[in-house]
Amino acid sequence: MSTGTRVAGQSLPRIDAPGKVTGSAVYAADFALPGMLYGKVFRSAEPHARLVRLDTTRAASIPGVRAVVTAADAADVRYGAAVKDEPVFASDVVRYVGQPVAAVAAVTLEAAEAALAAIEAQYEPLPPVLDLAAALAPGAPLVHEGWRDYTAIPILQRDGNVCNRARIVVGDVERGWVEADHVFEQRFTTAMVHQGYTEPRAAVAAWDSSGQVTVWSNTQLPFDVQATLADILATVPSKVRIIVPGVGGGFGGKLRIGVEHFAALLARKSGRPVKVMTTSEEELVAAYPRQGTVIELKTGVTRDGRLTARQGRIYFDTGAFAGSGPGVASVATMVLAGPYRTPNLHLEGYAVYTNKTNCGSYRAPSGPQSNFAVESQMDIIADALGIDPLELRLRNIVHEGDEGPTGQVLSAVGLEECLRRAADAIGWPDRRPAPGRGKGLAIGWWTTTGGSSGVYVKINPDGSVTLNTGAVEIGTAALTGAAQVLAEALGVDLADITVISGDTFSTPFDFGAQGSRTAFAVGNACRAAAAELQRKLFELAAAHLKTDADTLELRDKHVVGPGGRVTLAELARQSQVAGGGMIAHGTFIAPGTAYDTKRVEGHAYPAFHSPSFHAHAVDLSVDAETGEVTIHRYVVAQDVGFALNPTYIEGQIEGGVAQGLGQTLSEEIVYRDGRVLNANLTDYKMPTTLDVPRIESILVEHPGRVGPFGAKGVGEPPNIEPPAAVANAIAAAVGTRITALPITAERIVRGLSRDEGDGGR
Amino acid sequence: MSRFDYHQPESLADAVDLAARFGGQASFLAGGTDLIVQIERGRVAPRHVIGLGRVPGLAGIEVNGRIALGARVTHRAIEQTPALAGPLRCLVEGAEVIGGHQVRNVATIGGNLVNASPAADLVPCLLALDGVVTLVGPGGEREIPIERFLLGPNRTARRPDELVTRVDLPALPPRAATAFLKAGRRRAMEISVVCVAARLALDATLERCLEARVVLGAVAPTAVRAHAAERLLEGQPVGGEAFRRAAEAAQEACRPIDDVRASAGFRQHLVGVLVRRALDRCVERARRAA
Amino acid sequence: MAKIPITLTINGEPHEALVEPDRTLLDVLRTDLGLTGTKTNCLDAECGVCTVLVDGLAVNACLYLAVVAQGRAITTIEGLASPGEGLAPAGALHPLQEAFVEHGAVQCGYCIPGMILSAKAYLDDHPRPTEAQVREALAGNLCRCTGYQKIVDAVLAAASRMAGGAVAS
Repeated sequence: MSTGTRVAGQSLPRIDAPGKVTGSAVYAADFALPGMLYGKVFRSAEPHARLVRLDTTRAASIPGVRAVVTAADAADVRYGAAVKDEPVFASDVVRYVGQPVAAVAAVTLEAAEAALAAIEAQYEPLPPVLDLAAALAPGAPLVHEGWRDYTAIPILQRDGNVCNRARIVVGDVERGWVEADHVFEQRFTTAMVHQGYTEPRAAVAAWDSSGQVTVWSNTQLPFDVQATLADILATVPSKVRIIVPGVGGGFGGKLRIGVEHFAALLARKSGRPVKVMTTSEEELVAAYPRQGTVIELKTGVTRDGRLTARQGRIYFDTGAFAGSGPGVASVATMVLAGPYRTPNLHLEGYAVYTNKTNCGSYRAPSGPQSNFAVESQMDIIADALGIDPLELRLRNIVHEGDEGPTGQVLSAVGLEECLRRAADAIGWPDRRPAPGRGKGLAIGWWTTTGGSSGVYVKINPDGSVTLNTGAVEIGTAALTGAAQVLAEALGVDLADITVISGDTFSTPFDFGAQGSRTAFAVGNACRAAAAELQRKLFELAAAHLKTDADTLELRDKHVVGPGGRVTLAELARQSQVAGGGMIAHGTFIAPGTAYDTKRVEGHAYPAFHSPSFHAHAVDLSVDAETGEVTIHRYVVAQDVGFALNPTYIEGQIEGGVAQGLGQTLSEEIVYRDGRVLNANLTDYKMPTTLDVPRIESILVEHPGRVGPFGAKGVGEPPNIEPPAAVANAIAAAVGTRITALPITAERIVRGLSRDEGDGGR
Repeated sequence: MSRFDYHQPESLADAVDLAARFGGQASFLAGGTDLIVQIERGRVAPRHVIGLGRVPGLAGIEVNGRIALGARVTHRAIEQTPALAGPLRCLVEGAEVIGGHQVRNVATIGGNLVNASPAADLVPCLLALDGVVTLVGPGGEREIPIERFLLGPNRTARRPDELVTRVDLPALPPRAATAFLKAGRRRAMEISVVCVAARLALDATLERCLEARVVLGAVAPTAVRAHAAERLLEGQPVGGEAFRRAAEAAQEACRPIDDVRASAGFRQHLVGVLVRRALDRCVERARRAA
Repeated sequence: MAKIPITLTINGEPHEALVEPDRTLLDVLRTDLGLTGTKTNCLDAECGVCTVLVDGLAVNACLYLAVVAQGRAITTIEGLASPGEGLAPAGALHPLQEAFVEHGAVQCGYCIPGMILSAKAYLDDHPRPTEAQVREALAGNLCRCTGYQKIVDAVLAAASRMAGGAVAS
């Protein structure tokens, strides 16, 4: 794996482990300041209603309460990643149960809670839009009457309750149906699920006397929170400082503003630092979960299993505010195409408003839902045609030089190797090794999101290296990976590197821990900084060693020349004495990926950069009487380009599959009449140690052209294929095809009895 | 300001005095894994909490034919008592599936009984073993069989001024075996969708059932004995037809609800499956032990 | 009721606190004593991030009243590593802590203190566990990042080291 690299590619322990295992690492949820108040948020009790009266007078006079804020205390702005439709507090209309209406800060949490109970809100219910069907019905009530007036990304196709329609059109599907010998049409549904990070969203805000606010928060993207918060506070970003002490998991749910604005507004009004932290209930009612979907997929295929056309529609129930819906609907169309050669495509993703919580981004947004449909249908097709599912895929997958759905040229395509190795490892083609036991495959592709990253790298006179990055470590060890890239470039050890991160005041811009981009982009920014440092080091060393710069190399913490060598430490010391110090700025943004603009409409994500390819294979048994699923083996083969740190890449695969299995078998946020029924961890069922099997990871390397040493993004993909792989294995095991997530025991038993013609109970 | 006053009596008499004094305003605190949750969620708001940690004589396990379990016996203690691992095994099986170690280390059988969740795991096992609850109050001691102790969801026959001190299980007949099975959506940390505790005592040939208990959990307002199922088993050859009919009778005995965990129909289906499997397991165990 | 003065013995050291009786051990540890190594999340005994040891047994501090902890030996994550001596920057990590570092068992790290303490409590009683037993012992500790695999590997490795030999798996 390491192909001659010394540090990059090694399974070295992550640099932040000691603090984490000793409990000395401080997370935002741990952060506290002297004299701090505790803030709590008052939330709407109605899914859709006019807020006709809000009276906070009694709350304000509860002993211990020091501030109450409502819409009147914030700038009259709306924010949002794609459509600026979300206010800080509802003022005239509430659009989901849990929407913030006011906030209070008090000396104790108990007093804050008593204040919430003393707030009087009167609602006049409006007809609620409870689900996708209701939202899309002709004459449906509008979740946003004023949708036209919102500022939005220009490319979006918005209309009423649809806050985006993204589309990919290639060729002509009508021709494709004609060429097909068989056409398959299936409908799939998936549930809303939560990222399930174990650390609640938290923020501590404190104002100083110059009108500047500092917020310690566990955001994944401090620069976005900074910008949004500045708007809300009617100030400029340079007066808003976001510091990230530590993040206990994010998975996309901590990308956008969470509680920072409540903390900042309460701190401004009270004149004291204020801490706000979500409860489990708030997380399951008012966070940024993964959208539930309905997917209609129609695929044409010749009798020998060649795909001729695919028409797909995926509807995202994105809740009361657009959130990440419009972008997610775009990405979905790329996943619906699948990594397959299909000459005719008509793929649409719709982001739809309903009166539920605002949905956001969750690890591979749109991936598991779309892939569930595509890969389930591939097996349906295979079985109907009497073709082995592995064979059907091999006949259609993309290869080096093929086009993606929007016309981008694919390179470093490790898909066939992944598919063959995963299938081989699970013991394919023995698909049904025993009664009630079956194996399933699923494949997919994914992107490495762009966006820019900057770093400062400083070599210190003691020989240590400081990496200063605006990126945030959310647990993936991406910053360890980036540091490994830096160590490799400078000829030092990982242990020589200290990372400073996540402070909008003192660290350069970073586009955030999203889209599997951090190790990739920060790593490349480090290489740029290292190149500049090398230039400066060689300039100094050339003088010091009395040789030419082009005879020098970096090796073993030295600059080595034909006649001698000098330590980096000494050069840094010299630079500090006479030249202001040995420091360089490195930046990186991934070059654009060319695609055919005529193929897309309303599309916020028309190409997958440095794409990764992956295959999952699972071997499981189903207890036909209880519907219980037991997974015997789970194999992942993932094309990672270059494994920067195999241990932590395995960790991403193991954790991503575990999360994916939760979405597949047991997790769902259940709504009835606009209210969440299971807003607690007793009934929102995440997998425990006894629910997750051992996962075998096969790291495949087809190095890309852009990433450090050819690396591609690795964090999100493992979350994509579990639903389809498991659904396919269950179908193989007991013959019943489940097209809804989660695949609960009850669904399996009902499916089996339906298949037997008993009609279920 | 504290939501409640806290008392730490050091004798049973003092504990009872406090309960008599505060009545319905007081809750006893054993492990706290139900009470503290309910206080935090605002479901109960006792003005007084009477901690039982210093009251002696409530945490013992005596096994000599009959079994006496102190109310403060933890789930962990049950798991780790070898004498409970034989024919009484359903007790261990019911104890070891609740929560994680953290909960089982402190949660008590008294607390579990008094909380009387319809989905409790240990309660069906105690009921299958003909458990009798002893209560101590200002008026003295009284005993109630568990079946009459459980009145409804989170409701028991305990008066506010009474303390559960122990549960007694009569000696098992010879050639008896027990089993506990549970269904849920994940394999740990799970509130049962359905659970079943079964007990069979076989005759000398090990072919015929002499005595049966079939107890269902999470499918009625309390754990319930499926009496009709039991009658269909007693005197019958084990296995096959008798077990099938008993499972059907058990399905008829349950009154499950639809909730976020499962539909009533699915619960009813699972009752049939788990009853049959629990009975099979009892036979297996009785025969192996003989 | 007035606050109750209590003395909590934490990691072998006495800590005095004046607490209302309805305060949980978790809250007193984090807020009054600044020991934030024990984490907060569900407050419902569902996730295990608040796990501490009380007289060697793993408990959820979120449901354990501080007044009940009086007179008991409490172990938090801060008590596992040995303190540094003289000019040495840090003491020795507990074998569990070392194993978690070495085996890549730490990702975001928020579940880790509770996970390590649950593991320690189990290993102190069962020095040679199987994988199945380790998983069962940790079933009350949710992890969202790792899928548990490297955590289990780390616990088995630590058990080996602590028992002075290979542990059957």
